[in-house]
Amino acid sequence: MTEPYLAFDGVTKRFGALDVVGQPFDLTVARNEFIVFLGPSGCGKTTLMRMVGGLDTPTGGDIRLEGVPVGGPDHRRGMVFQSYSSFPWLTVAENVLFGMRYRTDLTEQQKRARRDHYLDLVGLYEFSDAYPNKVSGGMRQRVAIARTLAAGSEVLLMDEPFGALDAQRREKLQVELRGIQRRDTKTVVFVTHDVEEAVFLADRVIVFSKRPARLVADIDVTAQLGAERPLELRDSPEFFRLRNAVLKLLREAAGDDE
Amino acid sequence: MSEAPPSMAANPAGRSAPAPRRTSRPSSLWAFRGALSRRMQAAVGVGTSLLLLLAWEAAARAGLVNSTFLPSPVAVLNAMLLMVQKQNLLWHAGVSTLRVWTAFALAAAMAVPVGILMSSYRVVGAALEPIIDFIRYLPVPALVPLSIIWFGVGESTKLYLLWLGTFFQLVLLVADDMRRVPQEYVEIAYTLGARTPQVLRDVAFRAMLPGLVDNLRITLGWCWTYLIIAEIVAADSGIGFVIWTARRYMKTPEVMAGVVVIGIIGLVTDQLLRAAHRRAFRYL
Ligand SMILES: Nc1ncnc2c1ncn2[C@@H]1O[C@H](COP(=O)(O)OP(=O)(O)OP(=O)(O)O)[C@@H](O)[C@H]1O
Ligand SMILES: [Mg+2]
Repeated sequence: MTEPYLAFDGVTKRFGALDVVGQPFDLTVARNEFIVFLGPSGCGKTTLMRMVGGLDTPTGGDIRLEGVPVGGPDHRRGMVFQSYSSFPWLTVAENVLFGMRYRTDLTEQQKRARRDHYLDLVGLYEFSDAYPNKVSGGMRQRVAIARTLAAGSEVLLMDEPFGALDAQRREKLQVELRGIQRRDTKTVVFVTHDVEEAVFLADRVIVFSKRPARLVADIDVTAQLGAERPLELRDSPEFFRLRNAVLKLLREAAGDDE
Repeated sequence: MSEAPPSMAANPAGRSAPAPRRTSRPSSLWAFRGALSRRMQAAVGVGTSLLLLLAWEAAARAGLVNSTFLPSPVAVLNAMLLMVQKQNLLWHAGVSTLRVWTAFALAAAMAVPVGILMSSYRVVGAALEPIIDFIRYLPVPALVPLSIIWFGVGESTKLYLLWLGTFFQLVLLVADDMRRVPQEYVEIAYTLGARTPQVLRDVAFRAMLPGLVDNLRITLGWCWTYLIIAEIVAADSGIGFVIWTARRYMKTPEVMAGVVVIGIIGLVTDQLLRAAHRRAFRYL
């Protein structure tokens, strides 16, 4: 039996008296898989993701990356937050370069080359010298994505990264992110409230109950929609059907009071 | 920044129907929370001050006020010029400025690290906060007798009083600046492989810097308040000394000239620091 790439093994989490993840949570994620956590507000999605990042520790069980229990944070698991995702005192290019600041295995020249590569990948090369407050919210999120990729993160942990964006920009970034993930072969754990976003992006959608979080459904989206996700997919009947099915699951998971 | 970022936020429909141009209407000066150009702000500021001076001068000339209580601006200006020539006013101003900056530098050099530590490690904050809050509420003048007992009437008493007045205020302001640094910045740095000292230096300190510089500028102003107290109590030099000496002979124009000098120094310093702030933190 081979070790799964990323494994949640009997993970529980409580904050004081508050049970966030009550029943032991098990999940395995393959390398290069795009996982989306979907669930009612406050159910514990962020907490689970932060534990993968090493920013919180499980109360029980453990999380393993390639068989090694996750300790504190490091550059192999990169975070993209919904807000304050980039440093305002650095330019776009400097923000991306900052991703490699603590990597001693790269020369300055290599760092600059990587910076330019990832700036280009997220389409921000021409905004290299702009400060984050001078670019749009969507660009700021792309800065954070580029920084995380440049840092060499193999696992991207994204907590509602597009939550604050308008619908159009969101769609565009979703297509881009899915493309980057496929080209750059990254494993992604992505948290969202938005069912459509979840189905469009994910290889697998994990649906949680309301708190204490419990796995309600594990939906293999790629088996139903394929791995390619062009924008037009959104208009297809298959997409629609799946979206409605997930929405129904989510409604049940949230219970009557939601 | 050479390239202008695209105006993504612009409303797509807005091209054909331009928004009403509020700024061109004369009443826009009084638009609630409206904008005001830098030039206009300066003009209004200078204009108001001049107007006040004129009114004051007119009141003095018309004999509306007793000149022993309120001498005219011209009389104050004359007194000031005379004091520059005869009483070394500029030297006294220099002495006071030096005292303020020395004490302030000492206070800042100590308050910044302590304040940062207080917010970085809860245990430090918990230990120091009650003490600092206690001392912070003691009025500096109440501590004058004690500091004279401790330090005599020399230069160190003045520095101590100034330090006392600023350090404890500044510590809490710095601690607050640090507390306000978004946790996201700190966590981003950790997930990029930074260690705690690096997170402090490269991210947390950098993030709090604009607020810190602002608070330093504000506390520097407070330092001047305490300076006068210190110089009145025990000094044979400095603006406070000059003012207090003039008061003894009821030379009101000289008293006011001393006050005005402090005001001018304060105004110039503040404007310079603001300008430096704008330059250093262009990204804001
Ligand atoms: N550090 C903490 N201390 C105490 N309680 C916490 C802490 N972090 C999270 N919680 C609580 O744990 C619960 C789960 O929080 P979490 O942020 O993981 O939910 P979420 O699913 O991400 O919610 P949302 O969709 O609203 O972002 C919430 O009730 C929250 O208040
Ligand atoms: Mg959350």
